[in-house]
Amino acid sequence: MSASAQASAEPILLVRGLYKHFGGIKATNGVDLAVGRQEIAGLIGPNGCGKSTLFSLVSGTVAPDKGEIRFDGRAIAGMSAHRIARLGLARTFQIPALFDNMSVTENLLAAAAEGHWPGAWERAAETLSLLKLEHVADNRASDLSGGQQKLLEFGRAVMRQATLILLDEVTAGVHPNIRKIILEAIASLRERGVSFLVIEHDMEMVRSVCDRIIVMDSGRVVTSGAFEDIVRNSEVMQTYLGRPQ
Amino acid sequence: MAAQPMKSRWPGLLLLAVIAVALVALPWTVNNYWLRVATGALMWAGLACSWNMLGGYAGYINFGHSAFFGLGAYVTAFLMNDPFGLPFLVTIPAGMVVTAVFAVVIGAPTLRLRGAYFAIATWAFAEVLIQFASAMDFTGGIGGIGLPPFLNERFFYFAMFGAAALTYLVAWALFEHSRFGLKVKALRDHEPAAEAMGINTALVKLQTFVLSAVTASVFGAIFAYWVTFINPKSVFGGDITDQMVVMVLLGGLGTLWGPAIGGVALFVVNRLIWMHWGDTAFYIAVLGAAIVLVVLFLPNGIAGLFVRRKANALEKAAGKLVGGGGER
Repeated sequence: MSASAQASAEPILLVRGLYKHFGGIKATNGVDLAVGRQEIAGLIGPNGCGKSTLFSLVSGTVAPDKGEIRFDGRAIAGMSAHRIARLGLARTFQIPALFDNMSVTENLLAAAAEGHWPGAWERAAETLSLLKLEHVADNRASDLSGGQQKLLEFGRAVMRQATLILLDEVTAGVHPNIRKIILEAIASLRERGVSFLVIEHDMEMVRSVCDRIIVMDSGRVVTSGAFEDIVRNSEVMQTYLGRPQ
Repeated sequence: MAAQPMKSRWPGLLLLAVIAVALVALPWTVNNYWLRVATGALMWAGLACSWNMLGGYAGYINFGHSAFFGLGAYVTAFLMNDPFGLPFLVTIPAGMVVTAVFAVVIGAPTLRLRGAYFAIATWAFAEVLIQFASAMDFTGGIGGIGLPPFLNERFFYFAMFGAAALTYLVAWALFEHSRFGLKVKALRDHEPAAEAMGINTALVKLQTFVLSAVTASVFGAIFAYWVTFINPKSVFGGDITDQMVVMVLLGGLGTLWGPAIGGVALFVVNRLIWMHWGDTAFYIAVLGAAIVLVVLFLPNGIAGLFVRRKANALEKAAGKLVGGGGER
């Protein structure tokens, strides 16, 4: 196998033995996972199992206690969030973290302000069109509906021209029309070479868009595989529905 | 943001040109008293703008901003006196450099703090400088320090005018029409999200802090030469920062013209009160009332009132078009 073929076969994200404890709470307790290039991986698990903490660790918002994180072949564990973002990793937050006092267009432009500025206005127009937000382009972000806020946050990640996007419950509680827009955008971006790691509780969304499901419980990955295999897995079902007493 | 789609800017530019012409002609149309009032109004408008760079655009409330005003004043006083005897214009960049060094040293650790903690840390810094300037011989101690007199009101008016115009030009270019401004406003609204967008928030905050400090030092330098005598309280005093804060809140926090509106309005009120009652104790009550009124009725300041009216008109027009509200 040639060096370039080897490089492309290497996962875009590789996490090994990742630990983060907050006092006595073991938020992540030895997480191991990988996300392939152009893969859409779904991350599921009960509330409090460490999914969002894992996103914070990978994106640099929180520093891990121990473990290895490799993004596109580079070790990024403990690196600051802005440096990781500049390497091509973008994320959304569980509760949309918008720049409330800025307009929708300014939110998109701000995402391109560091490192991706040439053509930013044109890309912002394309993103507004892709996410069907043109009619609110000049509105303040805080004046958007909940669904539109989710769209805008997703749009900012798109503006980063990232190679890996972490989506934290991006379709939770949104109108079906907005959900459809997001799913189409994810599919379109994957065609352009973008990989995704998606936290989601909506099993229908997970089934329709994810290539592979990674299941977390109690701060670690318990299994991963195709959607059909996962729903037939009794351990996963117990994780979600509870174990018999 | 050079590629920003063009809007109709002619009315705004025309108004700006009229104001500029009026300000240039002012020294030949008013007496010396009102010329001094105008000089002071320009100084406060510029100082409020410099405070607004960090407080309004970046969201970091600095209660020690007078420290930088005072540093500029003291550097000018120090360098114009013996043994240096430097020309006034040379002392301004010297004050800017000294202030920038102080801003980096103070800003690097304090900008890790947020909210009230940052405000207290910066307030403490200004208090330390008051005590330092009061205790040291080279600063003239508590008695202060004099400067060579230069009794030309028009010179000081145009010096303040030039400094204020430059400050607003910098604010307009950097905070309203550049990528830097987008980064600053992004970190104000959500710092972790700004970091996740690749913005080095620690660096951007420090750059804004230094810029805000350096512009304040220029006004301090001109002020010192203008009044020909300074002491620690007159240039480092907390009441100087307090006034800047109220001026910006009244005019419009985080807006370009709000600090000018608030600065000019409050300083003119101050002088009118002084003319009629002789002392300015009542002015403190006016400041207090202004804060209460702004909090209750004008959360976005006077400038925000115009923006809000425009937004309301747009919302009404949109409501008529779609025949009601959409999904929320």
